Amino acid sequence: MNINLDEIFDYTSFNVDREPHIKLNEEICKTCDQRACTNCCPARCYTWDEESQKMTFVHDGCLECGTCYVVCGNNAFTRWRYPRGGFGVSYRMT
Amino acid sequence: MKRTFDAIVVGAGPAGSSAALTMARAGLSVALVERGSFPGEKNMFGGVLHRMTALEDVFPDFWNQAPLERHIVKKGLTFITEESSFNVNFDTEHNDTPPYNGYTVSRPKFDRWLAEEAVKAGATLLTHSTVDDVIKKEGRVVGVSLLRDGAELLAPIVIAADGVLSFTAAKAGLKRPQFDPSEVAVGIKALVEMPHDVINDRFGLVCEQGASNEIVGCTSGVRGGSFIYTNYDSLSLGMVLHLSSLNSSGKTPYDLLNEFMKQPQIAKLLRGGRLLEYSAHLVPEGGYNMIPQLFDDGIMVAGDAAGFCIVTGINLEGINQATQSGVFAGKAAIQAHEQRDFSKASLAVYKKMLENSFVLKDLKLYRKTPKMLHNDRIYSQYSDLVCSMMEDVYRIDGAPKETMTKLVLRNVKEKVGLKNMLADVYGGWRAL
Ligand SMILES: Cc1cc2nc3c(=O)[nH]c(=O)nc-3n(C[C@H](O)[C@H](O)[C@H](O)COP(=O)(O)OP(=O)(O)OC[C@H]3O[C@@H](n4cnc5c(N)ncnc54)[C@H](O)[C@@H]3O)c2cc1C
Ligand code: SF4
Ligand code: SF4
Repeated sequence: MNINLDEIFDYTSFNVDREPHIKLNEEICKTCDQRACTNCCPARCYTWDEESQKMTFVHDGCLECGTCYVVCGNNAFTRWRYPRGGFGVSYRMT
Repeated sequence: MKRTFDAIVVGAGPAGSSAALTMARAGLSVALVERGSFPGEKNMFGGVLHRMTALEDVFPDFWNQAPLERHIVKKGLTFITEESSFNVNFDTEHNDTPPYNGYTVSRPKFDRWLAEEAVKAGATLLTHSTVDDVIKKEGRVVGVSLLRDGAELLAPIVIAADGVLSFTAAKAGLKRPQFDPSEVAVGIKALVEMPHDVINDRFGLVCEQGASNEIVGCTSGVRGGSFIYTNYDSLSLGMVLHLSSLNSSGKTPYDLLNEFMKQPQIAKLLRGGRLLEYSAHLVPEGGYNMIPQLFDDGIMVAGDAAGFCIVTGINLEGINQATQSGVFAGKAAIQAHEQRDFSKASLAVYKKMLENSFVLKDLKLYRKTPKMLHNDRIYSQYSDLVCSMMEDVYRIDGAPKETMTKLVLRNVKEKVGLKNMLADVYGGWRAL
């Protein structure tokens, strides 16, 4: 058995809101010396590309756990809230 | 839209629904506001529901009414390395008769049931409703606004039961310590489908008996632990990882969980299983020292929002504290209505009730535990020590034997160091 995040939408349900509930000031990430979000996020929503020095954040598979909110030491979020009612992750069995 | 109630509860988790149920039964008009499309949709835990006396008061035969998976008769603690494991099991018939000592539950089912009980008692459940802000008037909390066409709910009392991050308490301006990655852990979980009989055979159970197992080691040195719990026809398998330690390790939670699932003794338990759902949630692990301001004019904070979680490494408790604190907050709100006084002074009775109960007493008792659990040796060296010692004890290979004392001392010296071991035993003793 293996958790493969490329297939997360096959086993965890989401009702993705087009309006992201988390917004990032990527300029702050450029000079961040930790990038804790990239390894701590359990859904791999944050990816840092060393070559282009660019942070990409995708909210679609966000599990709304709050890890990034707690580990980011630079307050890089211009918005961090839960999705609008009824949107986002939808656990059925857990 | 504007609607007025006697009380508003933010969050239909165990804390919020218990508060709403308590108030609704006393005849108050209550709004129970939940951001999910049903209560429990957003919630995950390990999880074992420990015995909840607060709910047994309300439902005397709780175990016949609530949707439960299995009752726990067998509790295990396992020390694990990449190849070996040493397991201590406590199995007792005492836990096989009601009132049971603990149950596995599915949160989307359990939380929904509890919220529906609050509705039966008269509470108004508003789902699909994310609370955006609190409304204040002359410094007092008098309601909340929703992240949906600016709808407003008004009430002289708001109970923030919105879980670990509690934006409601923060927006109300209640004082709380800054979230510190060393006081917060992330839990991740794989729900694995497995036939009921196969689970019974593999874990040595019959009928609806259940097993819970906490596992130390196998986190690649990251502070934290793993767990396996038996549900009716699935296994909950997961890890709880301290954020600061996870961060400095550079590892990802899912890679750690994947490595854990490949460990030979764990892989045997999982064989043939199918991954049903993957989930994640934070655990407030700071304990007593991280408790925020619990009440102010027109507002009280309950459950995870107040940091009421106890993590000892052997048990993780949060739902029992959440339900009990929810019931107390509800009772304090009822008293406030009787006296028509919703001030801070009137709501101070909430903290009194918590102080006189297991909620704050236990947190105080275990206040040194979070620091003890910051000892990295627990997660890296002790499992190695236990497993290599047991290997020596059980190995009969023609080599002359050592006395037991020598064997233990040699292993301790090699794996941990005698001084460290003595310091840790003393520290552990004081913390637990
Ligand atoms: C991995 C893991 C394992 C655990 N294991 C155990 C265990 O074995 N035993 C145990 O007793 N405890 C365990 N816990 C702890 C337990 O889950 C929590 O203590 C408990 O869920 C707290 O209940 P609560 O009602 O305070 O908060 P929650 O259960 O978090 O409920 C909060 C509710 O508020 C809603 N909400 C949040 N914000 C808003 C908003 N703005 N507007 C509207 N609604 C909102 C959420 O959707 C949610 O329904 C575990 C936790 C984790 C993460
Ligand atoms: S930790 Fe914060 S600032 Fe650093 S990369 Fe991540 S989001 Fe950006
Ligand atoms: S809330 Fe959790 S899952 Fe979502 S982006 Fe942040 S760390 Fe990742």
